Amino acid sequence: MAKTIVCRCEDVTLADLQHAVKLGYTHIEEAKRYTGLGTGPCQGKECLVATCLFLARASGIAPADVEPFTSRPPVAPASLGMLAGAARSDETDQ
Amino acid sequence: MPRTPNCSLDFEGESVPAVAGEPVAVALYAARVKVLSRSIKYHRPRTFFCLAGHCGACLMRVDGMPNVKACKAPVTPGLAVSRQNAFPSAGFDVLAAADLFFPTGMDHHTMMTSPRALNALLQKVVRELGGLGELPDPDNVPRELPAGERKLVDVAVIGGGPAGLAAAIAIRRARPRTNVMLVDEGALGGSLGAWPGGTAKMRKLVDEARSLGVELRARATVMAWYPEDEGGLLAVEDHGHLLRLSAARYIHATGGYDTNALFPDNDRPGILAARAVGTLLETHGVVAGKKPIVLGEGEYADALAAALTGAGATVARVDGVGMQVVGASGHAWVRGLTVEENGVRKKIKGDSVAVVTTPAPASDLARQHGVSVILDEKGGGFACVVDADGLTSVPGVYACGDVTGYRGPTRAEADGARTGLAVARSLEGA
Repeated sequence: MAKTIVCRCEDVTLADLQHAVKLGYTHIEEAKRYTGLGTGPCQGKECLVATCLFLARASGIAPADVEPFTSRPPVAPASLGMLAGAARSDETDQ
Repeated sequence: MPRTPNCSLDFEGESVPAVAGEPVAVALYAARVKVLSRSIKYHRPRTFFCLAGHCGACLMRVDGMPNVKACKAPVTPGLAVSRQNAFPSAGFDVLAAADLFFPTGMDHHTMMTSPRALNALLQKVVRELGGLGELPDPDNVPRELPAGERKLVDVAVIGGGPAGLAAAIAIRRARPRTNVMLVDEGALGGSLGAWPGGTAKMRKLVDEARSLGVELRARATVMAWYPEDEGGLLAVEDHGHLLRLSAARYIHATGGYDTNALFPDNDRPGILAARAVGTLLETHGVVAGKKPIVLGEGEYADALAAALTGAGATVARVDGVGMQVVGASGHAWVRGLTVEENGVRKKIKGDSVAVVTTPAPASDLARQHGVSVILDEKGGGFACVVDADGLTSVPGVYACGDVTGYRGPTRAEADGARTGLAVARSLEGA
């Protein structure tokens, strides 16, 4: 059995998603929390749409009525040193 | 344009020829380094997919720093690059046994949840298996923290592809005294660098934007929109320091993210986003393989197949519709696809696969900004909803190009020019 990878970052497979749907997790936020998809370094850039379309078909919802999961900062990996540096220069400015 | 290495990087003690300034991932691809990373759960071999800073599959240790995107890190002579997260090495990783142990996937919620002691032990093992990279080498950590920067402009353009550049150009032409800052996470030009023949157009747009006085910041990645800070600001990582950018008008021209097709073993190294294959060729002069397979159909698939053929490759086509992909062969590198047509299966050999899908609108930042989106299947995903002027559901916030639903570089440029003009008009009397 070969894996069909839906979320490359977190190694979530199509079988994992089908399993989640079977358990009743058909909303994108539920599927995300149950499988971990969309929580890796890319934050769902690759898997979000495929997952939403899959869930819409599985639960008989029109794609236009499907919402994405909440987008939260940061959308790209950030270094703590950069944030600390900005905070420190704020203190010096004051 | 043939690629001519002029220096070398240090890949785990081996010297790899490279062109100074090109991304590390390109140099490694050209040297046929097959495995750049191992996946987090199953330790499956991986190389980059998108080559555009999005997919997260090329995180490597570069110059003593962990989790650096090899597709974005520029080569400098002697740069030390190594793989992470594998034992004993990413080339041969015994942790990949997990891939065989869980043949289709795993449900970590019900895995050894009792007894409690076993669960605690398993958590430790999982953490060991699943960690990402090790702390930086102390000698390589900068002694000084990078100071922050603040900037207030009239218009902030996010994304320097054809739409963003055209928008910035249109604003400065219509209102030459408008302060326009354009930020782009990569080199400027966006998808034009992946289109056969696109670099000429890219140079023209970048030169025009520069000569009209647009403040261009390449390799500056917008990380977030923070609505609660100082009336709202964009947090931008600009060459390691934090730029807090606020503007009277915002234009989201972030383009699209490359997505994969769903078929068994679709993550094998060598199965790449079509635009990654296009970027290798058009921007870096690297032909993806001697026998590439172009999977998918449409204008871009045709253009890419023709360009690869022109570069001397023997191209196989799989439309993905009448001829469906049911599997991929090869482990550390793809060796071909198994396809099914009218119930008959056959193998198509290839040493690389370019997957053509409709890019997904890169609307995650716009969504943080409060912009309404709609799942537009034809447009590739969650597209920003805009009116004829490019105005979104949020006052002062505009969007243009592929982030409003895929349209390709020519239409994206026209869209950007129209939106730029509307933004300039909106500033009159402001």
